[in-house]
Amino acid sequence: MSDPMLLKVDDLKMHFPVHGGIFYRQIATVFAVDGVSFALPHGKTLGLVGESGCGKSTVGRALLRLYDPTDGQVLFDERDITELKGEQLRELRLGMQMIFQDPFESLNPRHTIGDILEEPFIIHQMGSPAERRAKVLELLDKVGMPADAVHKYPHEFSGGQRQRIGIARSIALKPKLIICDEPVSALDVSIQSQILNLLLDLQQEMGMAYLFIAHDLSVIKHVSDQIAVMYLGRVVEIADSEDMYANPQHPYTQALIASIPVPDPRQRKDFKPLQGEVPSPLNPPPACHFVDRCAYVQEICHREKPMLRSLEDDGHQVACHFAGELRASQR
Amino acid sequence: MALFTLNPLTRKKVNRFKSIRRGYYSFIIFTVLVLLSCVAEMLVNSRALVVHYNGEWFFPTYGAVIPGKKLGLDYDYETNYRDLEAKFEQEKDTGNFVILPPIPYNAFENDLRDGEYPPFPPSLETRHYLGTDTIGRDVAARLIYGFRTAIFFSLILLFVSYLIGVSIGAAMGYFGGLFDLLFQRIIEIWSNIPFLYVIMIVSSIMIPNFFTLIAIILVFGWIQMTWYMRTVTYKEKAREYVMAAKALGASNKRVIFNHILPNTVSIIVTFIPFSIANGIIALTSLDYLGFGLPPPTPSWGELLSQGSNNLESLWIVSSVIVAMTVVLVMVTFIGEAIREAFDPKKHTTYE
Repeated sequence: MSDPMLLKVDDLKMHFPVHGGIFYRQIATVFAVDGVSFALPHGKTLGLVGESGCGKSTVGRALLRLYDPTDGQVLFDERDITELKGEQLRELRLGMQMIFQDPFESLNPRHTIGDILEEPFIIHQMGSPAERRAKVLELLDKVGMPADAVHKYPHEFSGGQRQRIGIARSIALKPKLIICDEPVSALDVSIQSQILNLLLDLQQEMGMAYLFIAHDLSVIKHVSDQIAVMYLGRVVEIADSEDMYANPQHPYTQALIASIPVPDPRQRKDFKPLQGEVPSPLNPPPACHFVDRCAYVQEICHREKPMLRSLEDDGHQVACHFAGELRASQR
Repeated sequence: MALFTLNPLTRKKVNRFKSIRRGYYSFIIFTVLVLLSCVAEMLVNSRALVVHYNGEWFFPTYGAVIPGKKLGLDYDYETNYRDLEAKFEQEKDTGNFVILPPIPYNAFENDLRDGEYPPFPPSLETRHYLGTDTIGRDVAARLIYGFRTAIFFSLILLFVSYLIGVSIGAAMGYFGGLFDLLFQRIIEIWSNIPFLYVIMIVSSIMIPNFFTLIAIILVFGWIQMTWYMRTVTYKEKAREYVMAAKALGASNKRVIFNHILPNTVSIIVTFIPFSIANGIIALTSLDYLGFGLPPPTPSWGELLSQGSNNLESLWIVSSVIVAMTVVLVMVTFIGEAIREAFDPKKHTTYE
């Protein structure tokens, strides 16, 4: 391993054209992801957090080339994957997989669990039918499902069990990176921790990296080594997990962390929720995306786009003109 | 394919279909009728089923023409088995006999008699159970052979138009983009061409036969299924299981055939009975107007037009109307039951 980084994303952009009219011309653009950069080391977990519609799922799908990125560079295993086609693209899928949000939607209702888990091997032409069946049983065992599930259909299982099957499918090809797109947000709280622990166990056993997308801050904290906070198509802050919670720099991150409920009735926080709505990604503010809702907004925020910059040498990066100063003023 | 084998969801749908009595029984009766119409030659035919003559056995139904002389008659053309039966009955004690089909007339022969003009009313004695039409052809025979024509016409039309509709529609929905746009505009323009005029023009240039008529109707008939398939494919394509398959690296072919199509089958199946009914109605109305199959092909439309021109011979028009009503009602019952049984609200489980 010459490069400790498995995945390097540089200024990734994903813009969706909006068509309309008789001639189906492009009439607008959705700036779903507008310049996202981060890096993910082998075997680690990067949590990607942000509210609905901020583009975090789109990042995941663009990385897996389910969407074709508009611009930017993605180095996976020291290889640019943004231009891959055909056979090479299929090989990429051996190294990178995805767990989907909704376990009721992500399993084809007309296929048995056996069919679903065998499919990765069929697509990549691995093994004889007998070997494939053996592998399917092995996978089921790994995710804690009984072997007789093979002949059953998805609708015969509960949400948690289905998500286990989704996980089994994603680890089938032994990928180096799994993009977990809100894998627990559709599940009951009681089952969430089981699934999260399963994911952590599998990571220890198989050594893959996770890009963990979620909107739930406590979930993210539980699994991540590093956290990136997204707002309206951009990363506003990246830091080590502990550091992020202890020492948030960006006003958006501060508001997010302040909003985490504390299970202690006596500890009332003097907490002001964020005002206003997220602006439409069709027409984002020109410079800093957070200007409309920021309590510390200055004239420069309307004029100049804040770049991600390090404050100290600990990898903590913030995209705010006043990072470092705000904390002082807050206290 | 795991389409019709073990999937418990499918089995549930089939059981539910069976539990809707009138649809299920209609389905059984209809299937039996279609199967019987395949062997209509053995039920409605001027040729006998079995002839026993001087110790020899003959089975004229599907064989070559048996000349009258071979069976002891004095002519060389094809034996008239009804006359033969009468002759054998007179002779008695020779051990010769003829077994005729229940309706011993074919759809083309004119049963004319001296001193009378057709149409003849229904009569058990002459075995014209539903009477004859204006030129002395048996109405029951024409009705049954007309049913066979109509049903196979609809089935072939259904198969080909669904084949075209499903392929183009699925491609439009799945690939989208320019292909979709192009076909949308083509369909919009195409569906504005008045269908009946085209048929009239075509049949004034050439006399359509069974297959050219199917082709002409197909030219316009593929649109409906294409439209539905496009919509359904669009919907299925956006679901996560399709994305999951793509994330695994599945090819377009695999995604379409293994993932999307099996999930659209229930919608296709729901449309089948209504398409069959539409096919029967289309053929009958074209025949009625005289733009359909050329005479003397037995057809319901032709009988209907004869009947409505000869309302004093009420047996012609009433038998066609009853037959049409019964068949169309049965098909509609089947369609309703299928729609009910495949209703996604009854099978989707959200926990």
